[in-house]
Amino acid sequence: MKFQIPIGPQHPALKEPIGLRVVVEGEIIRDADLRLGYNHRGLEKLAEQKTWIQNIYLTERICGICSHSHTTCYVQGVEKLMELQVPKRGLYIRTLVSELERVHSHLLWLGVAGHEAGFDSFFMYTWRDREIVMDILEIISGNRVHYGINTIGGVRRDLDELQVKKILDSLDILRKRSEYYQNLGTTEPSFVARLAGVGYLSKEDAIALCAVGPTLRASGVPRDVRKDDPYAVYDELPFEVCTADTCDVLGRTVVRIKELFQSYNMIEYILKNLPEGPIAVRAPRRAKPNEVVSRYEAPRGENIHYIKSNGTEKPERLKVRAPTLGNYAATIKMLKNGFIADVPLIFAAIDPCICCAERAVALVDARTGQEKVVPMLALKQLSQKISGLNARKREVEWPL
Amino acid sequence: MNDQLLIDKINENLKDLVREITNPAPRRIFVKVEVNHLREMVNWLKQEQGFTHLSTISGVDLGQTFEILYHFANDFTCLTVRTEIPRDNPLLPSICSTIPGAILYERELQDMFGITVQDLPDPRPLLLPDDWPAGNYPLRKDWKYERPAEVIPGGKK
Repeated sequence: MKFQIPIGPQHPALKEPIGLRVVVEGEIIRDADLRLGYNHRGLEKLAEQKTWIQNIYLTERICGICSHSHTTCYVQGVEKLMELQVPKRGLYIRTLVSELERVHSHLLWLGVAGHEAGFDSFFMYTWRDREIVMDILEIISGNRVHYGINTIGGVRRDLDELQVKKILDSLDILRKRSEYYQNLGTTEPSFVARLAGVGYLSKEDAIALCAVGPTLRASGVPRDVRKDDPYAVYDELPFEVCTADTCDVLGRTVVRIKELFQSYNMIEYILKNLPEGPIAVRAPRRAKPNEVVSRYEAPRGENIHYIKSNGTEKPERLKVRAPTLGNYAATIKMLKNGFIADVPLIFAAIDPCICCAERAVALVDARTGQEKVVPMLALKQLSQKISGLNARKREVEWPL
Repeated sequence: MNDQLLIDKINENLKDLVREITNPAPRRIFVKVEVNHLREMVNWLKQEQGFTHLSTISGVDLGQTFEILYHFANDFTCLTVRTEIPRDNPLLPSICSTIPGAILYERELQDMFGITVQDLPDPRPLLLPDDWPAGNYPLRKDWKYERPAEVIPGGKK
């Protein structure tokens, strides 16, 4: 008999509402199906009613963790529409915040991976050190989550000598800590045993299903928007595209840890080579009718905005595709023929997170294929009915 | 390989299919094809030029027609294939047989614009709620949202 188990959409421990239905045979997942839209906010429609400036703050709120990714992607597209030349210093500061965001997102992910693998001290260590990055971001922008640093034509806040020195000092601590995590995350036997081989995604599948970001790079495809399609100042920065060829969750961990070190190098380079000059130029209120495709490498993968202007103060169309949507098709592939216990780990590996199965079971009759959802009470009554005939000690109450 | 080389190749091989090619910025190419040549174009791009990665599909409501944009990327450039379909008969061929990763984007198009994507392996709704009224397609320009009047259970005292 095959069981269909709904996981989500609502669960106290879930970060995001997403409906996942897995068909299991024993412990093995035979099929998986996704239902999205529980968090659909109609943002693309709303963007058509807001001005170019208002939309910066709207796109910032698409995501809480990679808030800077969406604004940068949007803003650099609008700058092309308005034909603005952003000053070098502005671009450097924008890239600095991008890389700091990548560091905080990857440290957060490492913690989540440790937590899902049952290695909670790893989770606590990485999240403690993530606070260092959050403090740096607060020094730069005044905010911890929604930095509000981007504007059309540049950035809104400048850096001074003291801030640069503070950031460089904190960077030394982060480097040292990350070396420790690299050592721990890739050699600790029980942690490696839990991650290795889980969520296999072959190179061919990763390409065919249009996976993005660390998920794609862990399958041995060296594709990174920062290298392939350099935006901002990435053509001047020294960095390498990190890949792994194990095609599993361990590979995704390795890729993210390697990327941390690349980000530290970039941050150091930016701070030591910060050009002088203004940080922003004045932007017009209207954009000529045109269209632009803007791509950005967010911590989770390629982020793409398609922006179309019609000559007014508001966009004609703003299409947003966040990296997680690009990875869902690949996730389904990873889940198939895996164990049900690996669902949280595989899901966490692309970066959203689903914790554990809901307390409702849908029974599928294997002969007719008919499906019904059984509430907990009915399930209890059924078990009482069946076990009521069993022999048991006298005077003992059935605990249910 | 640069943009101009690719444009030359497209002109050489697919002269009859392509209506218009523009290259407004480095690494950005826009190609316009008729909807009945879409699959052929996508096949050629994948087999001959290595455009294996579909970033997303955007739809735009132009009033009389829907414009559909397929954003492809390979290792050195980003190419957008653009096609138009009439609004009163919105039929679009699926490209899932060539690019399996397109399925979620095509299902999103169905939900948001009311476009019927033909030969889709899994045509169920993806984003909108189960009880969403039929015939309401949010990203069409004539669709307006009206917030329903707030009802306080039990009434206001």
